[in-house]
This record gives sequence, structure tokens and C-alpha cells, in this order.
Amino acid sequence: MTNLNRALLSSIAALALLVATAGIAAAHHSFVAFNMNEEKTVTGTVNKVEWTNPHIWIWIDVPDGKGGNANYGFEGMSPNFLERRNWTRTTLKVGDKITVSYRPLRSGENGGMFMTGKMETGKILTMQGGREGE
Amino acid sequence: MTIPKKLVLSATAILFAVSIGSISAQQYVTKKPAASDWSALANLPDFNGVWERGGGAPRGNAGQAPNAAAPRGGAAPAAGAPRGGAPATGGQAATAPAAAQRGAGGRGGRGGGMQLNPEYEAKSRAYQASAPEDNTTANCLPPGMPGIMTQPYPMEFLMTPGKVTIVIEAYTQVRHIYTDGRKLPEDPDPKFFGTSIGHWEGDTLVAESIGFSPSIRLAPGVAPSDKMRIVERFRLADPDNMTIETTITDPVVLAAPYTTSSNLRRHREWTIEEYICEENNRNSVDSSGKAGIDLTPPGANSSK
Repeated sequence: MTNLNRALLSSIAALALLVATAGIAAAHHSFVAFNMNEEKTVTGTVNKVEWTNPHIWIWIDVPDGKGGNANYGFEGMSPNFLERRNWTRTTLKVGDKITVSYRPLRSGENGGMFMTGKMETGKILTMQGGREGE
Repeated sequence: MTIPKKLVLSATAILFAVSIGSISAQQYVTKKPAASDWSALANLPDFNGVWERGGGAPRGNAGQAPNAAAPRGGAAPAAGAPRGGAPATGGQAATAPAAAQRGAGGRGGRGGGMQLNPEYEAKSRAYQASAPEDNTTANCLPPGMPGIMTQPYPMEFLMTPGKVTIVIEAYTQVRHIYTDGRKLPEDPDPKFFGTSIGHWEGDTLVAESIGFSPSIRLAPGVAPSDKMRIVERFRLADPDNMTIETTITDPVVLAAPYTTSSNLRRHREWTIEEYICEENNRNSVDSSGKAGIDLTPPGANSSK
């Protein structure tokens, strides 16, 4: 596969995911709080999972480089939606390490809309549910 | 013995209230269904069970789902951009603010764009031009009809003698479609889902609804009038696919009847879940349309 094809494919995949997540969250609220054109990634340790409607929230401690941690909050889909798609209440636990890709908050505060999470086990979590990593 | 005047007045008021209550209750008396009422249901198409809009959602191992679902157009949540949104009018879909496209209306469908009468077209444009950041669903106020029927969450249909009930997972709502022969009320109270009756035309359930709340939206920024009528035709396309053809008429707001159709797919292995939107809603919108998000970490606030 050429690099161009690869780039094209990943663009299509990214667009598809954006459309997918856009459709999902639009049921309850708009994306105005998030910068949907930007994607950031952080790695940290889960300190709380709010397995709640209308959205789950994943809170993680991210080392701040000064010996402490910053608390990041990520909004995800709903328990109802995710539990039907292989991501349950016990998939992610306090103490789990996770790398999160997200659409950052426009306010500049720590966190944003959860896009993809990679667990140490290799499991991949997305707004469309969970799957085992390759 | 003297009975205090106050007590007499209270007792009279209670009797009066009870008598009014019994008058309206007498119109439709719930009777124990006969065995034949239940067995008659077996002759109707079977709508019972949990249905998801669009059908074809990833299930079981969602491994292939995340990116593959969208291009297939199969997964309900991926199947359209302004999901649950009010239909775009006048070809404004591409430029309208996100919030303006969402809300209480249905989404644009087969019949093309919804045609509003000029006054309401202008109103809708003005609303969209004000660039609201969000609408009241962000505050957990459910959308009404027809938008409640296009949510990315399943609905359970229950068929019982004299009634089809739709349990809507989104916002934990319920619709009641009476098939017991009663007529639509002449002066219904305005409601988010209106007042519905239904009858069977062969294998098609035809539901008629009137009496909608001015809090709901027919188009971005536009409430229906009290003349809005919605007719839905529910029919099985095959054992696990249902089509719903929805026709909205509103002689005040709409220049022409608006018809759209959608598909539901039955998930026999699913159960309906609760969706208490107020449980942990961190989103909000104020009356000017400005959105907010509450980032208080859990535990720092007793309500979280």
C-alpha cells in the first residue's frame, strides 16, 4: 500500500469516526465545548469512572512534570450505548493506566471529549464501544 | 356538636374534586381483558421487543465496529449528521449552527426539505442566525414529537389489548397509542408527544396524534401550532425490520404536509435500559442559547 493510499484511508477512517461520534453525542448536546478539529493525547491513571447517564466521565491523573498530578476529565457516550458494544462498567477501573486521545475543551481546561483510549492490556475503547487490540 | 366551617368547606372541596375526577375517568374504564382480547393480538403483526433506529448496529464483538460502522451506514448512531435534529429548512443544513439543527424535530427525509410558511421560515432563519450554541436537550428536557422517535437509543414496543405502548430509552420516555376505539379529544392539553390513538389497516398500525406543546420544535426555532397533526404508519418490512412513515401537517406553520420515513431494526437479544438524564448531566444551556459544561471533579461536589 502506498503512503498516499495509507494517508487517504486513515483520513477516511478519521472522518467516519468524526461523523459517527457527531451523530452519537448530538442526541443530547452540541459539541460547542470541544475543539472538534483538534486531537490531543495524554497518558495517566484512572482515578474515577462515572458510569452514569447521560454520559460517562473518565477522570485520570496525568503527571504534571513537577512531581504532582493534574486531573483530566473526559466525556464519553452513555452506559446504555457502550454496554451493548463491549464496553461495560468494569472494563475500566480505578488504577488502570490508559492513553486517551480526545477533542480538547475550548476553555483550555484539562480534558475533553473522549475519542479513543488504549489500555495496558491492549484493549481499545472508543465512542463506538470496546474491542481487543491487535 | 358544631362542625367547624373550615372543615365543611374542605370536605365540600374534596367531594367536588373527587366527583370531577370520576367524571373524566368514566370515559375510559380499564376492564380486565378477556382471553379473546389477548389471543386477538396473535393475529396482529408482532411489534413487541426492542428496536433501534437504522438497524445494523455493531453487536456482540464490536471489534470491527468502530471505523467500519460509519461507511456502511448501518449503525444507527452513524447514519446521519443532524441526528435527532429538526429538519433543515431552505437548504440551510450546511451552514446552520450545530444546535439549530438539533432538538425536537424529526430529521429531513424522503420528502426533501420541510416547507415552512414564510413567517415561520423567517423565524427559523432568524433563530439560526442567532447561532445558538445548544438547545434545551442539553438541560435534559426531552425532545417531543417527532424528534423523540429519531434518537440514537432503542425503543421497546409493547402490544396489549387496546393499546400499543412505546417505551423510549432516550430520556426514559413513553408514548401511549390507544387502539381501543376511543376518539381523539376535541380540546387536548398540549403535550410533548401529543395525544395518540391508533387503528389497524391490514398489517399497518396507523397512529394519529394531536395536541402538541409549544415547547417542542417542528423546525429550528419554530414550535408547531395547536393545529399540528402527525400520522405515523408502522409496518413490518420483514420479521425484524419496521418502517415508519410519518406525515406531519400543520396548516399554520407548514406550507405543505411533510412526510418522512425511517427504519427500525429489532434486536431480539437486547433489553431496554434506563436513561436518567439528570443523573450526572454536566451540560447546560441558558435561555440565550449559550452552552455550559460543569467540570467539577466527582467527589468535590456532593451532588456528583
